[in-house]
Amino acid sequence: MRAWAMILGLFLASAAWAAEQDEAQGSVVRVRAAIQPYDQFRPWQKKAPYGLNGIGVVLPGGKVLVTAALVANRTEVGLEKPGSAEKCAAEVEAIDYEANLAVLRPEKAEFLKGFKGLALGPALKAGDTAEVWQLERNGELLRNQAEILTVGVGRYPNDEAGFLQYGVRVSLPKRDDSYTLPLIRQNQLVGMVMMYDRDSQEGTAIPGPMIDRFLQDVADGKYEGFPTLGVSWTTLRDPNLREEVKAPKSGGILVTRVNPRGTAGRAGLKEGDVILSVDGMKLDEDGNYRDPLYGLTAIGNLVRVRPKVGSQAKFLVSRDGKEMELAGTYDRRARDEAAIPTLAFDTQPRYLVLGGLVFQQLTGAYLQEWGEKWTERAPQRLVELFSFQQEKRPDPDKKVVFLSQVLPATINLGYQHYSGLVLKNVNGTEIRSLAQLAEVLDSVKEGNLIFEFTDDPGKLVLDASEVKARQEEIRKAYGISELRKL
Amino acid sequence: MKCWFLAILGAVISGCAKDGQLHEAKKNTVMVEVTSQVWDYRLPWNPGTVSSGRGAGFIVAGKRIITNAHVISGARNITVQREADPRRYAAKVKYVAHDCDLAMLEVEDPAFFKGTTHLDLGGIPELESVVSVYGFPIGGDRLSVTRGVVSRIDYNAYTHSGRESHLAIQIDAAINPGNSGGPVMQSDKVVGVAFQGFRGDVAQNVGYMIPTPVIRRFLKDVEDGRYDYYVDIAVRWMPLENPAMRKYLGLANDGRGVVVTDVFSEGSSDGYLNKGDVLLSIDGHPIESDGSVRLEGKPVQLEEIVERKFSREEVRLEVWRGGQTETVNVPLKPADMFSMYEILYEPPPRYVLYGGLVFQPLTANLMAVLAGSADLRLKQKYTMFATDQMYRETPEPVILSAVLPDPSNVYLRGLAGQIVREINGRKIRTLADVEPALAANGERSVIRFEGDSRPAVLKREEVDRSTPRIMAQYGISEASRTEVGSRRLAKGSYSQEEKK
Repeated sequence: MRAWAMILGLFLASAAWAAEQDEAQGSVVRVRAAIQPYDQFRPWQKKAPYGLNGIGVVLPGGKVLVTAALVANRTEVGLEKPGSAEKCAAEVEAIDYEANLAVLRPEKAEFLKGFKGLALGPALKAGDTAEVWQLERNGELLRNQAEILTVGVGRYPNDEAGFLQYGVRVSLPKRDDSYTLPLIRQNQLVGMVMMYDRDSQEGTAIPGPMIDRFLQDVADGKYEGFPTLGVSWTTLRDPNLREEVKAPKSGGILVTRVNPRGTAGRAGLKEGDVILSVDGMKLDEDGNYRDPLYGLTAIGNLVRVRPKVGSQAKFLVSRDGKEMELAGTYDRRARDEAAIPTLAFDTQPRYLVLGGLVFQQLTGAYLQEWGEKWTERAPQRLVELFSFQQEKRPDPDKKVVFLSQVLPATINLGYQHYSGLVLKNVNGTEIRSLAQLAEVLDSVKEGNLIFEFTDDPGKLVLDASEVKARQEEIRKAYGISELRKL
Repeated sequence: MKCWFLAILGAVISGCAKDGQLHEAKKNTVMVEVTSQVWDYRLPWNPGTVSSGRGAGFIVAGKRIITNAHVISGARNITVQREADPRRYAAKVKYVAHDCDLAMLEVEDPAFFKGTTHLDLGGIPELESVVSVYGFPIGGDRLSVTRGVVSRIDYNAYTHSGRESHLAIQIDAAINPGNSGGPVMQSDKVVGVAFQGFRGDVAQNVGYMIPTPVIRRFLKDVEDGRYDYYVDIAVRWMPLENPAMRKYLGLANDGRGVVVTDVFSEGSSDGYLNKGDVLLSIDGHPIESDGSVRLEGKPVQLEEIVERKFSREEVRLEVWRGGQTETVNVPLKPADMFSMYEILYEPPPRYVLYGGLVFQPLTANLMAVLAGSADLRLKQKYTMFATDQMYRETPEPVILSAVLPDPSNVYLRGLAGQIVREINGRKIRTLADVEPALAANGERSVIRFEGDSRPAVLKREEVDRSTPRIMAQYGISEASRTEVGSRRLAKGSYSQEEKK
């Protein structure tokens, strides 16, 4: 009698498993990306290529969702069916490096025919369980039980300010194609695992509602991205500080810097204001609000994920003890209009080679090329301009053009050890971008080219006609295909 | 017996002349035993940890003992002992020059000098010539002699001060802890003071000695009863190798001259030289386009001319300016703008304690203890302080170096490491500004920092209550130490008064 029950139990379980396996087969694909980033130190060339492999989630519309990190700096992306190894090239339809999400479209629309795709599931709470899916070599699904440990705003690989993320605990065996893995609950997509530490067996996942918000933005045909507030703020727990800034009895955070071009700045927020609520959501002293989905959550989610670019922003602030309402429009200008962009994927760095002097336009990507300790190893003036650009480079149209290196040649004798120098002007004309530098240089046919830098040695001089005569020789000697990319 | 032993080992190289040298060295080399105390900039009110060490020194004319500054820095007790006399005599530091790692000791008891003569200073030894090093290195207690050849004569960092470079001579004789301060001799004369080496895992047989021009300079400097630091011309210059650059400056392509690219404000050349000036000669020595001059037939950097001068002396420069040659005499003084990078030994650390908040001036010593935790803003303040001439605005940046935990400051602990900008509306330019600014408050003190950090707000009555509690809790006897103990800083403030 007992033996019967056991056999029956086994039979039932395997039937259910088979059904779920079918489900799974129609919902994920392998994604193979060939990656080849540009060499920031030799901006005319690319670095050695390498491959990244992950699992993409097929969406109901026949498109594939992956993390942006999987396809950043790609030369090619391919999809592969789990069971059959049938392949198809894919294009990136939309990508958001900050939110770390991307949508791929197979080049052949019929490739994913028969795939049902996975619908988005609800938001998870700490303590919930879900599954992380991997693929075996033979195409069968490997499902690992995952526990949601935390739900909170934290750093994303390419976003310091951070978005909401799940902290998950899961034991993942080593398998191919694990760079990006889906988080599934009851056959619905509830997140994408973006980081995993094998030692602690903990990882972080992009929550379903973030994915939902991203997909909605993609669906309307014009991708706008996640807005930013454009303020620095500090907690207001300290009663002495509350008294000093005349904050009300409880709640609110203190604004310590406002980017005048950002959402908050254009709504009229000022340094020293106490933000009491945003869009009707009250903030506590630590900058948390009560989210209907997640409970107590950091302001980052309130101002970056809930609203869309273009939607109305409402602030209740206390200024000098008086409450006032301020209104504005959410946008990304504080970030997109920065003089020195943080991110630079998929695009060739701008440069200009003249008489062996290599000029580049500063980006965060250039600085990060100096390695993990870039703040110590990169030229300190460049580190300063980038890290404190709100203070040092408030004008978004004034880009940082700098001498990154000198390719030794006879005409630049004596200049060859200079690098990391910020260019101020050429023959007295202020330099505001690399493109404008090119115009200025092109206009000088003969005579001196006087480059003035913000730091020692201050000035370097070349002879314009001599430079012109030597350009081709230098280009050939160093094997540079193009002497400028503006 | 000993003579015979030596003769066998060294017969080929030295012959018998060495015998007299060893005899003289034995008479005049002294063992210096020091008990010192090192200030702890993490706990600036503490007298610091006590440690003992041993070095060497030698007697020069006038019953003076020369040793290294690093042998006696922070000394609380010094004894000296000679090979021939088992007694230990008390010694005192007469002068110390941390910038060139030299010190002069004196011994009151005349009995110490019984049987001594003195050692004379020689010149710069030739490359590949043999020198002998005398001292008391690890491995025993009696006088030790090692021998090597002169490997290199060049500018080198003097690690004791943390920022100075002077002429140094590299030798391949072993120099080990305990050799420091001992004489290096050749032909009966001192040709250097052994002072630093490399650890065995970095390089082998690389030892350095301070050559006699540096020792002579030190002896001459203290003749007036005090040591005035090395002087500095305090400009930056660029070699003039590029023909287009030379043409732009209106210079012939004759391989001469360097161009001044920066003049440090408040430095020697401030008001005398300008950016764009081309330096053609220094004290009559023509300057090559790479910045070298010929001195006694050897090429040296033009700074060597300045190195050999003293405070208030002048250097004569031939300058190409505005299409003509002018002669400019620059009176020399030390480069105080770089003093922040100098490791401090003697002066007690200065600080102000207020409600558990510890304020300290930014120094090399403070950076050493904050290094791991310093944020980018503070690191950049430190590294770019002199080149960006920040000292004009803030001669001595003040750091909130620590917050000593107390119930009254629970919300302020995250602020440690911030650079203080103003207190109660008053700009903080030196540590001396802190106490008056704090005293100027009503019931609340507001401390603002550089960057976008939150301010610290303290209530006077809370601070009055918490200060005795914190001092008792943390064993702090004085709530502040603001008197300028360093002569160097005293001079800095003097030159400012002078300006007014």
